[in-house]
Amino acid sequence: MNNIYIYDGSFSNLLNLISYLLENKIKPFNIKITTYNPSLFEQIINIKLKKNFINEDIFQNHHLLKTIYYVYLSDNENKEITIYYFLLNYFKFGNKVFYLKNLKCVDKTLKIAHLVSHEAHRFKGFTRFKELKNKVLYATIAPDNNILPIISKHFQKRLKNELWIIKDENRNIISLYDKKKYYIVSCDQFKLLDTTLSENEINLEILWKTFFKTVAIKERENKRCQMNFMPKKYWQNIIEMSD
Amino acid sequence: MVMNIKEKLQILADSAKYDASCSSSGSRRKNNNGIGNAAYAGICHSFSADGRCISLLKILMTNCCIFDCKYCLNRKSNNIKRAIFTPEEICYITLNFYKRNYIEGLFLSSGIIKSPDYTMELMIKTITLLRQKYHFGGYIHAKAIPGASEILLKKLGSLVDRLSANIELPTESGLKLLAPNKETNKVDKIMGYIKENRNNNFVPAGQSTQMIIGATNETDLDIMNKSENLYNRFNLKRVFYSAYVPVNTDKLLPALATPPLKRENRLYQADWLLRYYGFKTKDILNEENPNFNLLVDPKANWAINHLDEFPKEVNSCSYPELLKIPGIGVKSAKEIIKSRKYFQLTFKDLKKMGVVLKRAQYFITCGGKYNLNKEFFKKDFILSNLVIEEATTPMSNKQQLSLFS
Repeated sequence: MNNIYIYDGSFSNLLNLISYLLENKIKPFNIKITTYNPSLFEQIINIKLKKNFINEDIFQNHHLLKTIYYVYLSDNENKEITIYYFLLNYFKFGNKVFYLKNLKCVDKTLKIAHLVSHEAHRFKGFTRFKELKNKVLYATIAPDNNILPIISKHFQKRLKNELWIIKDENRNIISLYDKKKYYIVSCDQFKLLDTTLSENEINLEILWKTFFKTVAIKERENKRCQMNFMPKKYWQNIIEMSD
Repeated sequence: MVMNIKEKLQILADSAKYDASCSSSGSRRKNNNGIGNAAYAGICHSFSADGRCISLLKILMTNCCIFDCKYCLNRKSNNIKRAIFTPEEICYITLNFYKRNYIEGLFLSSGIIKSPDYTMELMIKTITLLRQKYHFGGYIHAKAIPGASEILLKKLGSLVDRLSANIELPTESGLKLLAPNKETNKVDKIMGYIKENRNNNFVPAGQSTQMIIGATNETDLDIMNKSENLYNRFNLKRVFYSAYVPVNTDKLLPALATPPLKRENRLYQADWLLRYYGFKTKDILNEENPNFNLLVDPKANWAINHLDEFPKEVNSCSYPELLKIPGIGVKSAKEIIKSRKYFQLTFKDLKKMGVVLKRAQYFITCGGKYNLNKEFFKKDFILSNLVIEEATTPMSNKQQLSLFS
């Protein structure tokens, strides 16, 4: 039987589980979230960890922590086991693991982390807020990876005196900012009752679309290039591209 | 008749769009309990139909101008609609666009109205409002007006992230011909002043400039010499090259069917070679060959003409040598240096590091192995393969070059 170790979906519990497995030299077949449906040849193992197994080293190493956190945020279906093997090699080789791309798990980890970081960077630009009647700024996004925590931090600094909400349609989660902190919660826990736009909103959107059309130089038109940088899958929420 | 804000925006964005600079990088300005901050790497918010990045609200204060530069849409002798923004109008658009995350900040340039000083004062008034009344911490790039007094330059530079002046044309004679009101030494003076005074509170993101390509008859060698000279003298962050788009007809201007985009692309590639790859203009161009080969990029062209220096062994050659191999960029060269301390690199590993093997394979060995039959290590063979490789890669991938920083 193939052993599938499960965790509750949180980053800290994933790290703790992996640390426990590494410490006890257990080689899991895979690591999955609690809701995982095992196949015929798989058996679920659910360990209740009472103490902390996470090596302090991990928290001291910003680059390492960021890399595995970004992998954790990805939509890759084998992300947990990828992190497991990456950490296994980290404890073996130390920081030079970042240069051992001849190891498959290292190459894979760095590729996934890069993808997430790249998508987060894109959404720092592509996120579009609309102002609601109550002055709250409201945005909807549909990214491939769970980049909401990353961009929330960005907008917390940038729009710190505004109230804003960002909804990730693909994951059905929402980030709420109250001018102090942001909170990421499930949409089931928070229903937005009134999404009426502020009076001036349509005029501003028209103004933006006017600018957007005007800046393009007709003689240099290159729609393919445009689409390369701003993929079609994101257009539905980018107001200048959505109609 | 009073013009509404949308009409003004249309006119004043239309007249600003030929400025190639889009970057919003290089500044770490913090949000000072107001709205906005700068992102050091810069952020693109959208891409227009020509594939160029939109980062800043790029507008003119006014398109009224006392100058009559032949190539410019806003020249005095053109019979076009003229508009002028009030400072409050610019603040209104900037802040509202910024709040909705449409833009990273403001790019403010201007035609010259009344006098250089008067124009700069208007711009300063606008940006002071943004920074001090509205506590705007987003990115601002302003164009300095040649001929304005130093005290105004000082004031403007202390408010913005990037301040720059366009040299417009690569040669003095070109400028005399097409922009008789402009003088090179005035632009030089601005650049010198910015270089001398630059610090964290004065033009933190540095300066850039732009020249129009193909409106006069200079060679690529003239252009690259000018760029090299500018980088050396003024520590410019970037020189932008803008393929000439005919907006006016004039007997002094060339009649071009399409803007020289390929040439512009080559100039950007060569510009990169100067700034990051350790090349000098004299390595890639000379009096006998004063123009770039339009079929292959300048680095590949250089390598093909220096085949006696190749193939290089990637497991042992130096960093400057790695940088001169076609298909290897700054990032992959750095990674190669770090990784090869720990294990011997294979062709497969190089691919993982972002090396474009399709181009690099002709010029390298990996652990003594050449990827192709050694008999093919010939100038003609490599050249024709690289030409085909370039011709089959869509232009859309290549424009990427001009987008960073």
